Amino acid sequence: MKITKKGKFSSYLVLIFSSFLALFPLFWTFSTSIKDRVDTYTLPPKFFNFTPTFKNYTSLFQIDAFPKIYLNTLFVTIMSTIIVLVIGALSAYAIARRSSFRGRSSLEALMIAVRALPGIVLLLPLYRLSSFLGLYDSLWALIFIYAGFNLPFAIWLLTSFFRQIPIELEEAARVDGASNTRMFVKILLPLAMPGIVATGVFIALLSWNEFLIPVIMAGEGSKTLPVFVASFISNRTLDWGPMAAAATIALIPIVIFTIFIQKYLVAGLSSGAVKE
Amino acid sequence: MPKRMKLTRPIGQFTFGAWALLSLTVLIPIFYGIYISFLDIKLSSFLPPQFVGLDNYVAAFKAPETWATLKITLAMMILGMLVQIPLGMALALVLHRNLKGSKVFSSILITPMLLTPVAVGLTFRFMFDTDLGIINWVLESFGIDKINWLGQQTTGILAVVLVDSWQSVPFVMLLLVAALGSISPQLYEAASIDGATSRQTFWKITLPLITPTLLVVVMIKIMDFLKLFDTLFMLTRGGPGNETTTLGLWTYKTGFIFLEFSRAAALGVLIMIISAPVYFLWRRSTKEVK
Repeated sequence: MKITKKGKFSSYLVLIFSSFLALFPLFWTFSTSIKDRVDTYTLPPKFFNFTPTFKNYTSLFQIDAFPKIYLNTLFVTIMSTIIVLVIGALSAYAIARRSSFRGRSSLEALMIAVRALPGIVLLLPLYRLSSFLGLYDSLWALIFIYAGFNLPFAIWLLTSFFRQIPIELEEAARVDGASNTRMFVKILLPLAMPGIVATGVFIALLSWNEFLIPVIMAGEGSKTLPVFVASFISNRTLDWGPMAAAATIALIPIVIFTIFIQKYLVAGLSSGAVKE
Repeated sequence: MPKRMKLTRPIGQFTFGAWALLSLTVLIPIFYGIYISFLDIKLSSFLPPQFVGLDNYVAAFKAPETWATLKITLAMMILGMLVQIPLGMALALVLHRNLKGSKVFSSILITPMLLTPVAVGLTFRFMFDTDLGIINWVLESFGIDKINWLGQQTTGILAVVLVDSWQSVPFVMLLLVAALGSISPQLYEAASIDGATSRQTFWKITLPLITPTLLVVVMIKIMDFLKLFDTLFMLTRGGPGNETTTLGLWTYKTGFIFLEFSRAAALGVLIMIISAPVYFLWRRSTKEVK
């Protein structure tokens, strides 16, 4: 279809305006994080005409628990992502290559349940179970629950990547007598690597952002960054500078990551909703 | 094909890990949650729990909060869809034109959906601040009086929906861009040969063909508004009072703030029942596509 000049102009207008809306809050958080109190609490707001300061960041780093919180978040994110990738790749291989096997449809039912149910429904019983088992406030409890809640997403995503690998490659190996495991390790894994990496980044992102699980399951010992960021607001004195600094520190890894994985973003984000 | 059959070996054991993990974190909790809902556990008491039958359910049905928070959830859901689907649609249509630079714009536009919801909530809470917030400052420059966004029900619900929309319009947009991309260009060519206006083309060709995707979007929105927690928690905590509290947040408050653990579990079961129709529709729709 031909697009008129006027149509083109208004399209760009829409795109530019909505991009501005998408980016402004990010800019605003960052700029608040490098303002001192006076510049933050002033109207009209100061967009560029202020002297930047890193006071908010230094006050954040002076909080004793902060390094530990950051490391907790990193550890939980990395470990749960690894678990999800290992378990997810194996399951996705089975789902991608066989239209039916024992337990397939109940597994899929379970996966959809995770997508459909609000986390709080599962976390109430999980909270009590983990207190019984002495796992309250343990990083490993967080890791496994994160992994369980993110697994379905990874399986959907990986299945679509595995399906793109031609089955003929496997059939040739079959004739040579390769086992399922050998086939998976020698043929599927190397070819699916880009997809696995992309999935890993997504799962890491979801884990990094997770709030409900740690706010219920983590005490002081296993507190994560989102819980820390949230705890700022319960203080009566709303000090926006350090808050914005904390938010910026949570957001920086995401912005860096997403620049690297641009290529896979779209496929990844819509997986599980659009079945190829 | 006998040759192919011989080559196919059972593979179900590859899913063993998934079964183990999902049993621990999903299946067992679902049944244990149902079990808890028939007891009288309070986190404030160490007495051994007693079986109380349907008491928690009766209490939940009698409590005005259950219905009030359900109504708020539905209000957010409907308002959210009214905002997000048309906006996502408009952006998808613009991106579908494939103008120069579309790719760059689309990667900018999807940034919000990747960001930590808690940090997003914090940022917007600052922006919605009555006296210092930049949103009221912009409105004032248009001559609109200061609004106490987060301090009252209507504007509070609106603010929560707007922030959620900021994060989820890109998702709706992505799904619709994919749907638009799968429509055969020949249909449009045929339409333009027949002299159809662009409005007619939209209503007679585009819309009917993307309806299945729109239904998927509606289902996802229903699930996501039942799940809504992080940004809501950061923006209003369900306040003032319970005036912006959703059913999910109410379940959380019941269990972990009022310490009525079994009562909360019963609310959890109610949420399961409410989401069941969506669940079955979703299963059916994913099966059909295969």
